[in-house]
Amino acid sequence: MSLAPVIPALLAAAVAYVMPRKAATKHRIGLAAVTFFLLASVGWLWPDGTQAVAKPDAPTSTEWPYLLDFLIGFPIVAGLFVLFLPRQMPSLLRGVTYAVFAVSFVASLALLAVPMTPGWHFQHIVPWIESAGIRWHVATDGISVWLIVLTTFTTPIAAFASFGSIKSRHKELCAAFLMLQGAMIGAFVALDLFVFYVFWELMLVPMFLMIGIWGGAEKIKASVKFFLFTMTGSVLMLGAMLYLVWTHHELTSQWTFDYLALSRVVLPDTQKPVVMSAQFLCWFAFSLAFFIKVPMWPLHTWLPDAHVQAPTGGSVVLAAVMLKLGTYAYLRFSMGLFPFRSAILAGNLGAFAVIGGILYGALCAWKQDDIKKLVAYSSVAHLGFVMLGLFGATPSGIQGAILQMVNHGLATGALFLLVGVLYDRRHTREVSEFGGIAKVMPVYTVLFLIVTMASIGVPGTNGFVGEFMVIAGTFVSKRLNQFGAIEAIGAAFGVILAAVYMLGMVQKVFFGPLSNPKNKHLDDITPREALAVAPLVIMIFVIGFFPSIMTDRMRPAVESYQQQFVHLFSDTPETPLAARLLPRDMFPPSFLVGAPDAEAGGPSAVTEAATKTAAAPAKAAEAPKPRSDEDTNRARAARNEEIMQKFKNLPLRKAGGEP
Amino acid sequence: MEQLRTQFPADDFSLLALVLLLPLVGAFVCGVFGKRLGKEGVRTMALSAVGGSFVLCLAAFAMLTSAGGAHGAGHGGGGHAVTRFTWTAWRWFTIDGGTSTVPIDVAFSVDPLSGVMMLVVTGVGFLIHLYSSEYMSKDPGYYRFFAYLNLFVFSMLVLILGDNLAVLFVGWEGVGLCSYLLIGFWFGEDRKASAGKKAFITNRIGDFGLLVAMAMLVYYAGTLRFSTLETSQSALSQMRTVWPIPGLELPSWLIPAQPIRASVPTLVALALFVGCMGKSAQLPLYVWLPDAMAGPTPVSALIHAATMVTAGIYLVARTSFLFVLSPFAMAVVAGTGALTALFAASIAFAQTDLKKVLAYSTVSQLGYMFVGVGSGAFAAGFFHVLTHAFFKGCLFLCAGSVIHAMHHVIHDEEGSQDMRNMGGLRKHMPITHATFLISCLAIAGCPMTSGFFSKDEVLFKAFSSQIAATQPGLWVAPAWYGQAIYALGVLGAVCTAFYMFRAYFLTFWGDFRGWTIVKGHVAHHGDDEHAHGEGPREGAAPHESPWQMTLPLAVLAFFALFGGLVYAEPLHLTALERFWHPVFASASTHVVERAGAHAMMWPLLGVGATVFAVGAGGAYYVYAQQGGKPAEAFVAAAPSLHRIVRDKWRVDEFYEATVLGFIDAMGDTAVAIDKWLIDGVIARLTAAVTQLFGAGLRLLQTGRVQVYAAGMVLGVAGLGWFILTPHAEAEIDSSKLRSSGDVTFTAAPGHGYSYRWAEGEAAQSGDFTAAATFSTKLERCQTKQVRLEVRNVFGGTTETSFTTCREMGNDCCTAKPAAGDATARPQTPLQAPARAPMGGTP
Repeated sequence: MSLAPVIPALLAAAVAYVMPRKAATKHRIGLAAVTFFLLASVGWLWPDGTQAVAKPDAPTSTEWPYLLDFLIGFPIVAGLFVLFLPRQMPSLLRGVTYAVFAVSFVASLALLAVPMTPGWHFQHIVPWIESAGIRWHVATDGISVWLIVLTTFTTPIAAFASFGSIKSRHKELCAAFLMLQGAMIGAFVALDLFVFYVFWELMLVPMFLMIGIWGGAEKIKASVKFFLFTMTGSVLMLGAMLYLVWTHHELTSQWTFDYLALSRVVLPDTQKPVVMSAQFLCWFAFSLAFFIKVPMWPLHTWLPDAHVQAPTGGSVVLAAVMLKLGTYAYLRFSMGLFPFRSAILAGNLGAFAVIGGILYGALCAWKQDDIKKLVAYSSVAHLGFVMLGLFGATPSGIQGAILQMVNHGLATGALFLLVGVLYDRRHTREVSEFGGIAKVMPVYTVLFLIVTMASIGVPGTNGFVGEFMVIAGTFVSKRLNQFGAIEAIGAAFGVILAAVYMLGMVQKVFFGPLSNPKNKHLDDITPREALAVAPLVIMIFVIGFFPSIMTDRMRPAVESYQQQFVHLFSDTPETPLAARLLPRDMFPPSFLVGAPDAEAGGPSAVTEAATKTAAAPAKAAEAPKPRSDEDTNRARAARNEEIMQKFKNLPLRKAGGEP
Repeated sequence: MEQLRTQFPADDFSLLALVLLLPLVGAFVCGVFGKRLGKEGVRTMALSAVGGSFVLCLAAFAMLTSAGGAHGAGHGGGGHAVTRFTWTAWRWFTIDGGTSTVPIDVAFSVDPLSGVMMLVVTGVGFLIHLYSSEYMSKDPGYYRFFAYLNLFVFSMLVLILGDNLAVLFVGWEGVGLCSYLLIGFWFGEDRKASAGKKAFITNRIGDFGLLVAMAMLVYYAGTLRFSTLETSQSALSQMRTVWPIPGLELPSWLIPAQPIRASVPTLVALALFVGCMGKSAQLPLYVWLPDAMAGPTPVSALIHAATMVTAGIYLVARTSFLFVLSPFAMAVVAGTGALTALFAASIAFAQTDLKKVLAYSTVSQLGYMFVGVGSGAFAAGFFHVLTHAFFKGCLFLCAGSVIHAMHHVIHDEEGSQDMRNMGGLRKHMPITHATFLISCLAIAGCPMTSGFFSKDEVLFKAFSSQIAATQPGLWVAPAWYGQAIYALGVLGAVCTAFYMFRAYFLTFWGDFRGWTIVKGHVAHHGDDEHAHGEGPREGAAPHESPWQMTLPLAVLAFFALFGGLVYAEPLHLTALERFWHPVFASASTHVVERAGAHAMMWPLLGVGATVFAVGAGGAYYVYAQQGGKPAEAFVAAAPSLHRIVRDKWRVDEFYEATVLGFIDAMGDTAVAIDKWLIDGVIARLTAAVTQLFGAGLRLLQTGRVQVYAAGMVLGVAGLGWFILTPHAEAEIDSSKLRSSGDVTFTAAPGHGYSYRWAEGEAAQSGDFTAAATFSTKLERCQTKQVRLEVRNVFGGTTETSFTTCREMGNDCCTAKPAAGDATARPQTPLQAPARAPMGGTP
């Protein structure tokens, strides 16, 4: 009997005890509960814990196929439902919202209970518009599962903080937050391009409303700018999507929007870096939409404006989750559908990420007078790291990038919350208005410093692990050719600049003499506000010290995906003239599970049989299987193994100069 | 001992967990509960945490020595077996290297090198904690101070005990963070907060180097563990082209005739050394350390003298096996160290602030340590770390004691640290005086003190050793290099002896210059009532500090005096060298002694003693005998030289103007680009273009019915004209052109159209018929022209002609282009109609 199970309870009690004496019992219990819950889940995810390994023989019935539907649908339906509740009962509205978020969060944790083997999990396919080959196809893997959890984790916090600072139109606010969460999760799990596009656009609407209704002085301008920027990219993406679908139809005479099926299409292209080939144009249209969302230089100017004008809760969701859709979609769709293009342009794009993102973003952040704008520009710099990891396309680079997506969500989300605290007190965010407030707000200062250190990437906080993985991954990357080493050094240089801009701001705001008389009587952070920040701060340390609870679960999926990427990229001949369809065995078998397949009967049959193969662990062949498809499964598993092996042994095509 | 050994086996040495945990718990308790605990509670907590850690370190050290002895005997004395106790906490994360997966564990280990350092950190740390408990007793941030201090000890232990470079980096940044917090401890003053920020950012520049080094090691060596790295040196023998970068298009003047190549160990070692330059305040990154004196004095003693700043030397010693693979990197280390030693010493001459003098002397002494490790004398260089921790820690604490005494009357910080306000303190503060003198002798290199042995050993090794190339083609330092380093070092040593005794005589000799001593004066405290500046100050005689402050002084002074005996080569006492030998064994195989150098040992010892005599004697003459008059005369003779040295060679101003100015300009440029170029083009320009279109189209939407009606009339007229005129167009079916030569033309239908077809240029004949199709047959390579005339119901006619050619795959159509503009393309040998409208209105 070890002490481990008691630790969360002990720490929770300690947290409840440490809170200031004037804190209400409600908040005391709330904070203790948050602490307990987070630490308990960490213990549960702990790699030594036997739960993940204990039930390899358990059938895939643990993967309830409707879970993702539930995660998407429940908040959206609840959002519509909230609109019919009486406006006069704000506590009812908020209660319903919290309840929905709580249920969603717990439900999303169920995703983590499943061993994340390569391939799709919780896959659910329903024909939707059959004449156009559109299907409701949602599934998650070791990559997107973290972003789902990030969404269900941060959105409630953002909503909680918003209810504290926003005093008007709570009903619409509740509906907006709920729908936003549903739409974002939908975009993270959609594997049908049509479904993806629907969610991609759907999530714009609540955010547009949030900035436009509850925003600052220039909210209309900012919301329109936000909407137009993202919309421009989306429309181009839609065009490219249709071209891809049409090409697939030309090749197979089958209409489908399915991501898995379309991954097999290779559009014509040549080796030249920039050429008006079909693949380049389609890649460009897709990637442009994602780069705007990330945002990457020079398409980033909507972000500072949107952040400055958005209410605190909106900024938190925008920074923590919405920007990640850009990076995630680049990883999933640009790299998945156009591996060749993504690979040969990686070196150049990496330079964009380093110079335009990491360095330029940091320099801009340094020069800002508005704290929130500074944090917004720091997002540009941080997401430069994420994109660099993706461009490098090494296993650790991609893992670091995913980790960094989550890290940025936590650290920047917390920074926005904390800046919101200051704004609520003084209604200004100008750095020059403050100075020396560490004297009057000590606890707030401590929290701000912790989050600052996470943002800078001091080891022990989450920021370091992600950044280091990206830098090391970039250094070893073969995709970046001879630029890998330089880009890694440039990215490492960004670490210095991060300290320059964050600490410069911290010094001006918190240290020095308390000169402004308006700041003399600022209240320290209230328990309610601390309750909002606490989970983020706890997770900063948890991921900083135990990143392997995440990386261990994403590693198989990332490695399989990365090998697929390298393999497909290497396969593209020098000058393919016409579009062609790759054979199925070019892909890891688990990847194509659920792709529409005319030859093997109805799609649902294929899905069911194949899901079992994919989700069963490696030793599936020995496990007792109920029916006659045991042989089929065994044969399939053996074949999978064989193909995987072949796949791993493939030599890389001439790697450019070594860094 | 046996029981301990079974409890803590060498490969699961969880004693280290306790060593680390105690200060961490102390920091947590002091920081979170400190306000409720009160000063007594905080003091008990902090002191017992570090003290307990020290006791555990002693136990670990005892186990290490006994195990080391057993090992040494077993391997025939001084084999390669390093005694190392390891404790792995958990798997931190895993990254993919160039060829393999690199697991990174949160693992700690202790070996002779880190064992000694661990004792210094916790031992000196405990003494300084004790000292601080009194020194800081009046400060409202008491609990905060001890929380930071305990956190510092924890981070420093992580740095020392880290089993791989990544864990070391955690401690590396952790001590930087604590340093930041402690320098800016009194954050109410802008100057102090800025000093903290400056320290953190300068250290970050160093951390950048360390990050790059880690990435390189992951790539080339596939591991970050020190023990594994040591055995996998062969993976690091490659040469790499550094410049020009292959594939990068550069202007020709940037491309050298010979590509610049460097070995991997050189690159890694130089990157690591960038980190060391930041942390250990070497040229050109030393500028943060003098400013760091803004922190409380015990902090200066612990962090900025005894422990943290020596982390750079520790890192070089830890990775000595890597550094010796690159004679170039070693030369850079030694050269930087020697230059820094002399440069910092020169600044210390003209400082009047007691702590600043000590700060620059720290920078200078750190330079000596790098000279040591850079010359391949790892044991000697690290021995200087040890002795320096004693005498410099003691000196800083003495300075703190003096400042504490001065502070009773002179409340502003500048004044209370200014040596011009001191003097004659040996009468009032006997213990402080005695310990300061002992440490001063040690740092100045008085024979038989610890500083003499360590500095002398370092300089002797710099003079006598050379780093051999491990593979052909490597750059090797020329023979005079070691002698030049030695000369710089000796010069710096003279300076050291002089300025340290200058500080000593100014502070403790002569008459007291701070205030008028009034017997029975009631000391009054509190800043509000105190009148600053004007008129002569009065106060009671400065008094000695309480025992919590003098006891650490005495202990440190004892070690400063006798600590040298553990490694005094002239006396053949080399216990420490033998203890460390296994750690540096593989590195020292590449260090060769120059021929005949050993005979120089005794003469050079004489030089060392002379250096001390010259420096200290000079200071005695100038400041004790002549009362500083020669120095004043010198200042009068060369005022500008004095001013520039007093202003620290204006290096800060230089950086301000160049590096910071450059980055500042870059920042302004970036903001301007963002605002005007990017937002201007992407947002404003597109918006303007859209608006322009809108404005143009808006002109048409007038809302006046007459305008719309006029538009309709124009439209109807245009349509009518189209209907009235005939249009000759035809579709051509050439699907059988290649095989049989048959071509079929089908004219477009129209209202009441009739057609007349003809081949060739022949004149039109025959009537217009209703036959809309026309067929013809072509021979190989034949070109034909087909003419079509169309008449509509109103009698208007028009005509067009088509040229067609039967291509046979030998480009005969292209070779003999048909009449007109017919440039036949291979795929579509049919040309667009050459339209020739003929008819008019009937």
